[in-house]
Amino acid sequence: MVEYDRNQLQAAPGTAGLKICIVGVGGSGSNVLDRITLDKTVEANLISMHTDVRVLGHSMAPLKLQLGGELMRGVGAGGDPDLGREAALFSRDAIRSAVQGFNIIFICTGLGGGTGSGAAPVIAEIAKSTGALVLVVATMPFSFEGRRRVNQAEEALELLQKRADALILFENNRMGELILPKDGIQKAFSQADQLIAQSLRAVSTMVSIPGLVKLGLDDLTTALSASNGRCLFGFGEARGQNRGIEALKRALKSPLIDQGRLLHQTRSLLVHVAGGESLTLMEVEAIMKQLGRNVPDHTHILFGVAVDAKLGESTSVTLISSLGLEQLTAHSSAAAAPVALNTPAPARAAPRSAPPVTAPPPELLAVTPAPEPMELFSPEELPAVVPPPAPVAEEEPIAEIEEVPAPIEEEQEEFFAEADAPVEEPAIQDEPEEVDEPSATIPDSIDFADEPTFEEAAIEEEEEDEAPFIADAPQVLAPVADTAHVPLPVASRPVAEEEPTPAPAPTPVAAAPAKQHGSTLAAVVARGNGNGSKRAAEDQATFRLGDEDRGKHFKDTEPALASDGGENLDVPTWMRLKRKIRG
Amino acid sequence: MAKSTIYAGLEIGTQKICVVVGEAKRDGAIRILGVGQAPSRGVRKGEIVDFEKVQTCLNDALVRAEDRSDVMIRNVFLGVTGAHIESLNNRGCYRLPDEQSEITEDDVEEAKEIARNVPIPQQNVFLHSVTRQYIVDGQEGVKQPIGREGRMLEADYHIIHGMRARIQNAIRCVREIPLEVEDVVFNPIAAAQVVLTREAKNQGSLMIDFGAGTADYVLYQDGMITASGSIPLGGDHITNDIALALQIPNGRAEKVKIEDASCLYEDVPEDEILLIEDDGGLVIGEVERAFLNEVAYLRTREILDQVKERCQDHLSRLAAGVYLTGGVSLMKGIDSVAKDVFQMKVTRAGSAPVSGVSAMFENPQYSTPIGLIRYAQILDSEKPFLSPLARLGRRMADLLNTVAL
Repeated sequence: MVEYDRNQLQAAPGTAGLKICIVGVGGSGSNVLDRITLDKTVEANLISMHTDVRVLGHSMAPLKLQLGGELMRGVGAGGDPDLGREAALFSRDAIRSAVQGFNIIFICTGLGGGTGSGAAPVIAEIAKSTGALVLVVATMPFSFEGRRRVNQAEEALELLQKRADALILFENNRMGELILPKDGIQKAFSQADQLIAQSLRAVSTMVSIPGLVKLGLDDLTTALSASNGRCLFGFGEARGQNRGIEALKRALKSPLIDQGRLLHQTRSLLVHVAGGESLTLMEVEAIMKQLGRNVPDHTHILFGVAVDAKLGESTSVTLISSLGLEQLTAHSSAAAAPVALNTPAPARAAPRSAPPVTAPPPELLAVTPAPEPMELFSPEELPAVVPPPAPVAEEEPIAEIEEVPAPIEEEQEEFFAEADAPVEEPAIQDEPEEVDEPSATIPDSIDFADEPTFEEAAIEEEEEDEAPFIADAPQVLAPVADTAHVPLPVASRPVAEEEPTPAPAPTPVAAAPAKQHGSTLAAVVARGNGNGSKRAAEDQATFRLGDEDRGKHFKDTEPALASDGGENLDVPTWMRLKRKIRG
Repeated sequence: MAKSTIYAGLEIGTQKICVVVGEAKRDGAIRILGVGQAPSRGVRKGEIVDFEKVQTCLNDALVRAEDRSDVMIRNVFLGVTGAHIESLNNRGCYRLPDEQSEITEDDVEEAKEIARNVPIPQQNVFLHSVTRQYIVDGQEGVKQPIGREGRMLEADYHIIHGMRARIQNAIRCVREIPLEVEDVVFNPIAAAQVVLTREAKNQGSLMIDFGAGTADYVLYQDGMITASGSIPLGGDHITNDIALALQIPNGRAEKVKIEDASCLYEDVPEDEILLIEDDGGLVIGEVERAFLNEVAYLRTREILDQVKERCQDHLSRLAAGVYLTGGVSLMKGIDSVAKDVFQMKVTRAGSAPVSGVSAMFENPQYSTPIGLIRYAQILDSEKPFLSPLARLGRRMADLLNTVAL
């Protein structure tokens, strides 16, 4: 029996004692802070940091910090991350004193610009060194902002991933779907800020308020652990009769989740249900059952319940998950994308749901250092994280993988077969994975392979070697997998730490911007005339083509004419025949 | 209760714009009250290319229809076609929750939702999603699954989709008249409602609406719609072929096609010469009848071949054969060409008998607009009956929605 140190338990600070700090870096970060300040959604210390004094001047955050005072002379970094970094390094002492003494530090930033991309990693590093838990909430630039900014964002992302305990990444391109096309740009941005603020609030309540069924940082990292993943976030709150289902519906409505459609592809999903003291078990059960319809069986559901008197009569549901960028773009920009790139994507989606990255073979697990959050959190969150729950965490993904290996193999071969299609130079990024790949089956085709397939192949093969040891495990362990729903919180996954390091592959992104540009707009326009609200568009008053009528993915619905072999069928038949006879 | 409703069907064809006003009685009978027709300009291959010309013609047709039927037309059912419209069949599978064994309405909705969630190009929208059948635990052909016991419910859908912008353009064009578009219907779906009998649908049949701009087809099997589509080839192509072959103006070629051309050329004596006259009666050319017929034959055959190629997979089990309708089906000899192509029984058909304007239904040119009336009637009969009060309530709710969002 494990004995807890009672003194320490009692000493563990309650909710109020947990000190949270939110740092907004750069222009977009300070916008989010403004939103939080205005809405008073999160109880935390807010610090706005920027190189540009003018932005700081407008910021509503109670604490402002100018980066690189003398060095930059109050001028922005001008889109140069190097300048941003220099500025942050210049004022590192000031930063350190500002972020000192907090338990959790959120850093929100918009990547791609100078200050955001340059300074944020430095600030994350400093924040980390104060011993706090560092969560980064970042947005990727719109694809129309240009390739260069995307590149800068990718670089910064890589740096941040190494330093942050968890990274919640939002794709700005998807934010376009948050609003109606005719809404002003200001509203668009404020909506996006609001969503980020909401996610901050959700995450901070989740990790700080002790739940009945606890969800911790460990679960959060698991939920966010898709490789090169973008965060899918949905939040819904409702009151009154049927409030649980209603809240779930609202959470699913979040455009980042795309009416729940994107959830079909995710590997793990974090669900947090919070309610006032009147929250009933029946309600929670109903919510989970309803959610089960939107989520495939093999998805790992990380479930948490909390009772928070502040919520009163209302119930809130938070959904957090992540999806690889390539899947996301395959989903949203399907139509504009070339067939060669896109058709395999949905096909791959299903087998992907077996967690390839979250479940590295045991040796790997052993080697990986335990993640920071564990130690960091243990004083406060003893009961949650301290007991050695290793078996649960490790075996469960294996059980899941056991079910799917065959399709992966098939899929992979199929894909290699058609791999000659020019995928834009993915070779460079494949390397990190290649290192731990024991038997590169088809080395020459690796260059063509799209990253995810390849990863799976690698791990799948390793997994097979492992198979004898756990051969009888799956059946026995299958129920264990379900313990995720059971009160005992699942242990932290060491994997999540190690996983992001393989870097954001530029592969999918390389193809993405060009495509997305047109199609996101198209999507927005399409939505414009969809959903109820857009009935306002007066040319749609009675007859409308609703959102449910909108095409979602691309399928090679083939040409209008069956035998249109380059022949122009408008040319008289007799003329063509004559030509044929002559030729 | 023999309450009747008046509907108007509008087809903007490549050759003609046609408005049909019909009265649908509660007992299912249809009476045609009036037809307004005007030659069409500004339409190519079934799609509108010139808004203004079309609107002028449409106004003509509308005025005539209103005159004859003595009905003020405000809402129409709009028939659309075009090569961009495509179809596919999809199945949505829904497994009932464990503790539930009886299929409820919600489950059916869920299955439908899944079935309708098919990948179609992003710029496309769904025109129709027709329930073909439900499959309960593998038992096919279930028409009404609600209340049945089962574990697994599958909804089988025929989904017709087309490019959003083009469909929207047609709607916009009509709305500017101004007319309200009550629903948009894919032409052959409408036409099939009056051309094919229930018997023909059950036995399996292929209906080809052979118009001036497009050849639209719809294929039924076991009473379920199985395939549909549109080929951007039609009577105008025959005319054009003739004009180019005979070196005569298009207008003249059209007349030659209707009056003299046939799709049978083999039995025509070699030396039979046809004189082509212009409007004044002057002979502007002469042509061997066999040659003219061969030109017409080649094109007709090609178009039918195209249709055949598209529904190749389903042709084996069509007991009722091929039904030809639309203007070109009046062409001489087309039935034997079709028979040759499809190797099955070919029927030339207009609309099923309806009462009202005499003999109009016999003309295959009007199958689509009459079909629109029938379609409207079917649609309405499927809708739950709403009391006027409830209808008002719904409209208010809609209005509020519009304001709120």
